[in-house]
Amino acid sequence: MTALPTLAVKNAKKPAGVTGHGKLAALYLAPGMLGFFIFIVVPLIASLVISLFDWPLFGTPKFVGLDNYIRMLSGDPVFWTVLGNTLFFAVCYTVLNLVLALGLSTWLHSLGSWGPFFRVLFFVPVVTPMVANALVWRLMLTDDGVVNSFLANFGIAGPSWLSDSQLAMGSLIAMSVWQGVGYNIIVLGAGLNGISPNLLEAARIDGAGAWQRFFRVVLPMLSPSLFFCTVMTIIGSFKVFTQPYLLTLGGPGESTNTIVLYLYRNGFSFDKLGYASALAWALFVIVMLITALQFSQQKRLVNYDN
Amino acid sequence: MYTWITNENDRAQWQAFVDAAKKKDPAFNLTLEGPSFNDYWTKVKTRLSSSGAPCIITTQAARAQELKDLTVPLDDLAKSNNIDISMYNKAMIDGLTVDGTLRGIPYDAEPVVLYYNKDLLAAAGVKEPGTKYTTSQFASDLKALTKDGVSGLAIPPGFGSGPGLPMAFADGNEPVKDGKLDLTNSGLVADQQFAFDLAAKEKVGTAPQSSDGTDVPEQQFMSGKAAMIIDGPWMYDTLTTKTQGKVGIAVVPSKSGDSIGMIQGSAFAIAASCKDKEAAFKNIMKITTPEVVGAVGAARGTVPSVESALKDWAGTKPAADVEVVKALLASGRPLVTTPSWNQVETTFSQYSSEGFRGSKSAQDILSTITNSAK
Repeated sequence: MTALPTLAVKNAKKPAGVTGHGKLAALYLAPGMLGFFIFIVVPLIASLVISLFDWPLFGTPKFVGLDNYIRMLSGDPVFWTVLGNTLFFAVCYTVLNLVLALGLSTWLHSLGSWGPFFRVLFFVPVVTPMVANALVWRLMLTDDGVVNSFLANFGIAGPSWLSDSQLAMGSLIAMSVWQGVGYNIIVLGAGLNGISPNLLEAARIDGAGAWQRFFRVVLPMLSPSLFFCTVMTIIGSFKVFTQPYLLTLGGPGESTNTIVLYLYRNGFSFDKLGYASALAWALFVIVMLITALQFSQQKRLVNYDN
Repeated sequence: MYTWITNENDRAQWQAFVDAAKKKDPAFNLTLEGPSFNDYWTKVKTRLSSSGAPCIITTQAARAQELKDLTVPLDDLAKSNNIDISMYNKAMIDGLTVDGTLRGIPYDAEPVVLYYNKDLLAAAGVKEPGTKYTTSQFASDLKALTKDGVSGLAIPPGFGSGPGLPMAFADGNEPVKDGKLDLTNSGLVADQQFAFDLAAKEKVGTAPQSSDGTDVPEQQFMSGKAAMIIDGPWMYDTLTTKTQGKVGIAVVPSKSGDSIGMIQGSAFAIAASCKDKEAAFKNIMKITTPEVVGAVGAARGTVPSVESALKDWAGTKPAADVEVVKALLASGRPLVTTPSWNQVETTFSQYSSEGFRGSKSAQDILSTITNSAK
């Protein structure tokens, strides 16, 4: 593949009489930018406009200014509950997912020829439709489901995994980790494969033990992959929708109601597109700030040296 | 026509209207389109906002308030076409009346009933209920029926579909007053608490999960794991033919024993965007004649909206079952709702699992819903 010449030399002055490649670059960029403009920028602007209206699915929208935002921040207690639920889910899911993925990918890396087989096995839930996964978990976790029937064999009366407000969110997190961990195992596995065995060998010769090699050599070398996994997992966790929609309907009470489920309902069930758009913008700002915070720490925490 | 077509069963029902109308007018035809029932209430709004939208849509009386901006008043069209609206079930006409104007012509009028498994009642020595049934007798019967892995009552998590609202209705406690939500009136709260306690305290029913549809308790009833269920007459054919054991129906229990029927039903309406409303109305009237609704009732089991057509629906059904439906139709009131009813139903399903497990009271749950669905 041939790289664009203009990208090859950083800050180089263009020699006199040499024509630039701006038009060619624009041509290459056009399809992608057109898609970005139509499917990202336009809906983003449209949702910002809609958020300033009382906008029903059918009928005439009414301009209400910042009322939707004011109501969201000061008049709707459910917003703060669903925001808290979403943050709790995001933190627990991201930490559990990354710790498990890191442990499993390290184990699989040392497994030799069985490693790829198990990697595929862990990846199967990622490519299985979320709806199918959620329905299977629902069958497992209902009051008289597989889990409680199993526990009953030992004389244990299983709890209501999906209907006890103390357990329902935990059940959602468990299901989500099971569904999502395979993706990070693949990414971290690729990162581990990229670490030169010579480095580890040198560390061993220098007398570093297994834990020291892991924390002092493997982890820093894996930090670009870990950074990518962290950013993508956090963004994904804030958008959680299918799991509560199918497993708990957001209940019991509001205990598993998340911000995307709440905005979906406001937009398409409660006929409040304007309020749903305001919620979407709140989510957009939160995710953008968290992602920006992560990128601001990139230089400090991520090691790109080979 | 834009309507709900969840499966081939739905499509066959709509086709039954067309086929029955063709007997009088062989050239009559209707093109059908639409999503599943659950998606319909969202998609009908977006479909009617787009160009080339169908002229005729379907609605439920309980949703007439929610869809009022989508439909047009039919009073003048009925007058100019000399249609006698009084032949239709009064409760349905009341339910379809929004801001003093009629928004649809009903094709069915379905009072919610109590189904029971005759075999399980006989085994437990419980007398079969009929057109009179008190809540105290109901609670006592459920206790007798709950044994050997069988629950007395199968319970869905919904509000309208659950046991609480139909029982409140039977006592005359309605959820809407003067066009506004009235969920916290003492009668409704007490009846809903009674329904919660059946699972939470009396343990005569299995507490549902928020995400359960109506199919979960229906399966429980059909498989013989529950002896009773409160459901609509639209489930009559399914529940009487697919349940393990013989099935009978009774009125929904009330404190006095004389129950007020909670009538739900559907209607054909004209979309506000329709250009030829006169033609649309004439077509609606071809599929809502007593002959047509009677023929559809006989073929598909829907209870006709016209009293004179009830005999077609009754067909070979047991006389006792027919009497129950007739009694509830006579005493019945429409389930009138508000434009935010979808929010009420959704939020109730979210919270009801706590009510049926005893961790929240009916007062708490209904107050929360009232505050959120203003």
